[in-house]
Amino acid sequence: MKPLARWLAAALVLSALAFALSSYHNDVYRKLLLWVTLALGYNFLFGVAGQVAFSHFAFYGIGAYSIVILTFQAGLPLPLAIVAGVALCVAVALAVAIPSTRLEGFYLALATLALAQLFIVVLNEGGAVTGGAGGLADYRLPAILGVRVTGPWYTVVIVLLMLGTMALLARLDRSWFGRACRAVRDSPEAAAAMGVNVARTKVIAFTLTSALAAVAGMAYAFVDNTVNPPIFGLENAFLLLFMVIIGGAGRQAGAIAGAVALYLLPFVLSPLIGHHHALVFGVLMVAAILLQPRGLIGLYDALRRRAA
Amino acid sequence: MRSADALLEVRGLTRRFGGLLAVADLDFTVRPGEILGLIGPNGAGKSTTFNLIAGALRPDAGEIRAGGEPVAGLPPHEIARRGILRTFQHNRVFAGMSVVENVMVGAHTRFRAGLWSIVGARAGARAEEAAVRARAEELIGFVGLAEWREADVTTLSFGQGRLLEIARAMAGDPRLILLDEPAAGLAPAELDRLAALLRGIAARGIAVLLIEHDMRFLLPLAGRVVVLNFGVKIAEGSADEIRHHPAVIDAYLGDPAALVDAARAGESTHAAA
Ligand SMILES: Nc1ncnc2c1ncn2[C@@H]1O[C@H](COP(=O)(O)OP(=O)(O)OP(=O)(O)O)[C@@H](O)[C@H]1O
Ligand SMILES: [Mg+2]
Repeated sequence: MKPLARWLAAALVLSALAFALSSYHNDVYRKLLLWVTLALGYNFLFGVAGQVAFSHFAFYGIGAYSIVILTFQAGLPLPLAIVAGVALCVAVALAVAIPSTRLEGFYLALATLALAQLFIVVLNEGGAVTGGAGGLADYRLPAILGVRVTGPWYTVVIVLLMLGTMALLARLDRSWFGRACRAVRDSPEAAAAMGVNVARTKVIAFTLTSALAAVAGMAYAFVDNTVNPPIFGLENAFLLLFMVIIGGAGRQAGAIAGAVALYLLPFVLSPLIGHHHALVFGVLMVAAILLQPRGLIGLYDALRRRAA
Repeated sequence: MRSADALLEVRGLTRRFGGLLAVADLDFTVRPGEILGLIGPNGAGKSTTFNLIAGALRPDAGEIRAGGEPVAGLPPHEIARRGILRTFQHNRVFAGMSVVENVMVGAHTRFRAGLWSIVGARAGARAEEAAVRARAEELIGFVGLAEWREADVTTLSFGQGRLLEIARAMAGDPRLILLDEPAAGLAPAELDRLAALLRGIAARGIAVLLIEHDMRFLLPLAGRVVVLNFGVKIAEGSADEIRHHPAVIDAYLGDPAALVDAARAGESTHAAA
């Protein structure tokens, strides 16, 4: 199959699934697709570009809150609110990345951790604008050109967003830009000697993936039709990291496998062990790092090699 | 020599590390297409000189001109853009990438496609990617790693890693290539292949600035040689002049074997000629 035909087939199959699912399962499916979208972006940032950042989930939150605030409080039309929200995230990402990528990698981790915490503080203290601890609710996706996208059709929007993110990152990964990111990750000195502008490459990778997270967050805002601080806390930021590591950092298939496995695992485990799945995640994480640093996808490779 | 003819011109280059004068008031030029040897005992300042030229270190004083343009103090990626590419004394390959991808990173400055045309999978971007890949594969063959083209670089031997670094630097279409002890750690059979490879690079019109400890390897190859000791240039001249230069003999007194070897290497090349 030609690549375009493959993408179309994937879009059709994943979209068709939405129409086969109940409304409860559509909700689960949408969130799964959003986790996959986030994991794909975080995989590029952490796995390909090698940046240890904890802000990815915060940008998801900034996207979600900004679309709601810009649309329902500032009264912007939806397309304009999307552009303005992305612009805001790009500005925040640049403000974090430019000073911290000039320093050693550790400082990016600290700066992004601080940003993630600061975001939660701002949400809680934001008064009427952010709705404080209760967040914002009672809004609905506005109609675009007289059409209101609802039910499985909204799931289709998220399918397209996920596939779009995947295609965009896959293309970048296979280009000079993706190789420059990996080179900076593996040896910044050698990358620079080959003509790679190390600081610029890091800033672009960080800003681009942060903006993609923000767009996913905008889609999320109309999944639950409420945004509130607990969703965007550090717990989910770490879950995202676990997904990418357990799946296999640096490869899209790994990010997808990790996101699907860790998102669905609680549904399987909860009936058995209640809300103790965090413990299972921790054990899996340690097992992955000690036994299979290339994650689930590395395990799959090893099994296939043995079978061959 | 007029500076307009020089590919690289170094004047009064100086670098200190605390109280240590690593490179002191160094002058030399590299002409297009020549192999210039840079030798000296351990700690003489050879790698520091490379790092200063390549932009990895800033000079405390002095001038560096590439094709007449002052480049001292520019960051490394700007030096690479000007056609000066290097290898490292200790292999610095990209461990998470295949051999061919490593070499393609060397061609980084050759790409013209912007991010938008990559994301849009435009024909121009795809054609450029294919052309660079083909050229990288050709270079991998040129250095003798064709069998390992798709291999994970962590599976390469040390000597193969040295060759990979050379192919990677070549991929940037350099005017000048800086090789920091490419022969270190190679077996005798590999040394002969490396010598042929370096002659092949020079034959393509690329100037080679070659740091080497092993005079026996270097002297037959280099058209001219600059000798450093404690950061100071103590001699400069043809291989023959260097072999018999009293200051060089003094500097290498701690290691007379190196000179004996070098003299023998000289005799054998003369015999062959
Ligand atoms: N980054 C640094 N900080 C402090 N001192 C340094 C640094 N780099 C080099 N030096 C010192 O500068 C001097 C010159 O080092 P350099 O690496 O240039 O020598 P070299 O001629 O390449 O030697 P070798 O043959 O051992 O590679 C040495 O005394 C070394 O210890
Ligand atoms: Mg050295």
